[in-house]
Amino acid sequence: MNAAPIDSLEPVDAPTGTPGAESSNTASGGAGGSRFWARFRRNKLALAAGGFLLLELFLLLVAPLITTHDPNQATSFADGLVGPGTEYWWGTDSVGRDIYARILFGTRFAFTAGAVAVLTALGIGIPLGLTIGFFRGWIDRVIMRVVESVVAIPAVVLAITIIAVVGPGLIRAMFAIGIVYSMIITRLTRAEVFAAREELYVDGARAAGAGNSRIMFRHILPNVAPALIVQTTLLFATSVLAEAALSFLGLGATTSEASWGRMLRSAQESIDQSIWPAFPPGIAIFVTVVAFNVLGDGLRDAFGREARGGRVGVGDVEKAKATEGNEPNPDSLVSVRDLSIRFPRPGTTEDVSVVSGVNLDIARGEVMALVGESGSGKSISALSLLGLVPDPGRATASSITLDGRELVGLDFDQLREIRGKEIGLISQEPSAALNPAYTVGRQIAEPLQYHLGMSKSEARERSIELMTRVGIPTPETRIDSFPHQFSGGMAQRVVIAMALTCNPKLIIADEPTTALDVTVQGQVLDLIGDLARDLGVSVLLITHDLGVVADLATKVAVMYAGEIVETGKLTEVFHHPQHPYTEGLIRAIPRNESRVGDLPTIDGVVPPPWEWPDGCHFAPRCPYVAPGCLEDDVELRPVAASLTRCVQAEELTLIGVNPAELAESTATIGAGPGSKDGAS
Amino acid sequence: MFRLLITRLAAAIPLMFIVATLVFFMMQLNPVDPTATLLGDDTSPEAVAAARADLGIDRPVLTQYTSWLGAAVTGDLGVSWFNGEEVTTLLTRRAKVTFSIVFGSLLIAISLGVAMGVTAALKAGRWQDRTVTVVSSLGIAVPNFWVAIILAAIFAVRLRWFPAIWTNSRTETPWGWIHTIILPCIALGTASSAAIARQTRSAMIGVLQQDYIRTALAKGLPVRRVIYKHALRNAAIPVVTLIGFQISALIGGTIFVEFIFNIPGLGTIGVESVQRANVPITLGFVMITTLVVVVANIFLDMSYAWLNPKVRRA
Repeated sequence: MNAAPIDSLEPVDAPTGTPGAESSNTASGGAGGSRFWARFRRNKLALAAGGFLLLELFLLLVAPLITTHDPNQATSFADGLVGPGTEYWWGTDSVGRDIYARILFGTRFAFTAGAVAVLTALGIGIPLGLTIGFFRGWIDRVIMRVVESVVAIPAVVLAITIIAVVGPGLIRAMFAIGIVYSMIITRLTRAEVFAAREELYVDGARAAGAGNSRIMFRHILPNVAPALIVQTTLLFATSVLAEAALSFLGLGATTSEASWGRMLRSAQESIDQSIWPAFPPGIAIFVTVVAFNVLGDGLRDAFGREARGGRVGVGDVEKAKATEGNEPNPDSLVSVRDLSIRFPRPGTTEDVSVVSGVNLDIARGEVMALVGESGSGKSISALSLLGLVPDPGRATASSITLDGRELVGLDFDQLREIRGKEIGLISQEPSAALNPAYTVGRQIAEPLQYHLGMSKSEARERSIELMTRVGIPTPETRIDSFPHQFSGGMAQRVVIAMALTCNPKLIIADEPTTALDVTVQGQVLDLIGDLARDLGVSVLLITHDLGVVADLATKVAVMYAGEIVETGKLTEVFHHPQHPYTEGLIRAIPRNESRVGDLPTIDGVVPPPWEWPDGCHFAPRCPYVAPGCLEDDVELRPVAASLTRCVQAEELTLIGVNPAELAESTATIGAGPGSKDGAS
Repeated sequence: MFRLLITRLAAAIPLMFIVATLVFFMMQLNPVDPTATLLGDDTSPEAVAAARADLGIDRPVLTQYTSWLGAAVTGDLGVSWFNGEEVTTLLTRRAKVTFSIVFGSLLIAISLGVAMGVTAALKAGRWQDRTVTVVSSLGIAVPNFWVAIILAAIFAVRLRWFPAIWTNSRTETPWGWIHTIILPCIALGTASSAAIARQTRSAMIGVLQQDYIRTALAKGLPVRRVIYKHALRNAAIPVVTLIGFQISALIGGTIFVEFIFNIPGLGTIGVESVQRANVPITLGFVMITTLVVVVANIFLDMSYAWLNPKVRRA
């Protein structure tokens, strides 16, 4: 359908999306018919394309009634190559035939050609694919060998060769095209059968005693149908192109048949006299093919094959007005003031606030924990320090200072001086954080070369030192390994080494152990703690698990639904939580106590931002909720030794825990549940 | 890497064998009698028998097959039935023309397609992206031979910037060569670039959302390096797969542009030999084009290994 007219041995619009994300997920034919139509009806473009094709079918039937000239009969030779006008609406070709009539009659050939090719392809491909997919074994191996060999022959060449045997002519040529296309259908059907076989229901049907043919037709075919319907529509488009192409070469329709390809041939022969006759058939082919493609894409989307890719890119933090008296703390290493982040609400044009009014201070050499569930806004808040707010989010802050330097207002390239050099990032999933295409050595060395101007060999030497420092055995050889050759724990050590390259002042560790095995979580946390102590670097440790921070952090900020709800010294927050959410998180820490039943958790999840209530965001999930909680915005205010955002803080007696005991007990069972927390 | 090459080459041999066998026996079903073309009016049984013996088609089919295959393995594809020209010599000369057009088109298709796809992905959702998406969706629906007709009509026939007719003398200098094939290359390449742009865009969008891109940005690398070093190489894998299909498609496409620009390439002789049932040339035409596709795919397989280290040990 693209370059050459008949090139469609390519699986149409093959794996889009990310590499590795398989596209053969049509087997999920479970989407009910009504949902399919509902989705399809919403796709105006595909509906229009379908309507246009129906109109063409109608014109095809009534063509003799709405044309005044015979499509094949030249009225008079004097009328050759007449331009568009009242007598001949779209002019005439070189022998004086009415182009308008020929285009309308040409629809017949286009649709006939498409039908012949597609029916041939389905008639051969489906039975063949079902058979080999079902019986597998040597039949499958032999036939697939042949199919693969045939597919290696350029499609046009193959079609022409088949035409050499079956002879030229529209129907025969399209039959040849159909044979070529049947290879795609065979492979597609076979693949779907293989996928469907794996599903339990086929086994179930087997166990229930259904015969082979029954299994094939009742169970597998309906599942293959969505992919086949899409593919058939797209094949129709390529068949229209193929008909035109072969007729153009003189292998399809004959001179007396008014096919679009023949018209182009005749236009090409008189091209030095007039270019006009080439346009109507070219446009007719083009519009028909576009309509089939759009319809096919629409069907594919309606079957729910592919969610359209989102946006990409990152943004920096824009300047916002400071709230009264909210000045940055000049003594802190990092001081964030009035950080707010807004995102467009999916499916609407309005913005919602996902983070609001966050203030954060991290002292030099301090490990600060930012704790909250998935969806609380903690990761994105940390990323805004680096100016890496994911698009289409928009972050604003009155001030973000690092070592006294104001970061708000710096552009992307000015922030590059900060990223990797002043602030290192350790992210959640080490295997995803490393580029699979390059050796770890090159990835560690990159910031050394860019920020410190080291030569390749210097950077390599330093990389080996860093790998040694983070506890990777035999770094001299491991440096040339690729990320996939590392275990999760070792890969995370590589990421840590990468974050350390330029002796940063701050390391942001975003759920650094969540993706790791329970057994290595403790080791990686210990490593981060050691590094913080030995190198004097500050750490912003982001986690959903308070248990992780007990023996690491000195200060804690608890975030819920875009706001910091409690912050204070770790011992204070643990001993005397002042916010019910903090209490809930503390209760959810796994402890080495004999206990019966499940770990207590906070009911529910963080609701999406547009459902956050006025007043206290936590109120809907809070066990202590009182009528006053939803009245007004709740301010962060000092209670006891911490700051809290709970109006009832003084009245409630919340239960804490002794962090020292906790650290001891968690150490023996690993560092918390291995549950995965999505990016928040 | 070397082992991969050997495995792929080893797999290519049975594949070529199957193609040769299939096509040879298929051509036996060819209803056209070559002696009719050869002999013209003289249809006496003796003359026909003599002509058949001359062509060697009086022998049993299996004997014909083994002798053709035996010669083909050594690179001898026989002689044309109608003028006795050596098929290998004839097709090699013409293959040079055809594959330089394929190569030129591919260069245009890849550079244009990747540039459009990357731009669209970087500006996802903005006007640049919408433009590329619309242009490439429409682009894959335009018949490439129609583009060739229009380009020929405007730039060769009307404006005379490029030659409309092939002349051997002109193609002897490198510049004359490029000047002659550039228009066909543009016609094929632009049509092909639409598909590459679509694939590049969606692959890039997928890759740009990966964590390692954020890691690279977090290291403070310039955007250009992140895109061209970290993102493009990973996004290239599905694009390379598509390029494999495009090579096959472009070879098909040359048949049309050779026809339109009167270029003496493989396509013109291939179609002519099919129409006149000149079996040795038809067989050679299929074998050479398939061989090029197979070899190109071996190179692409090797590039997967370079692009994706995980494949290397597979």
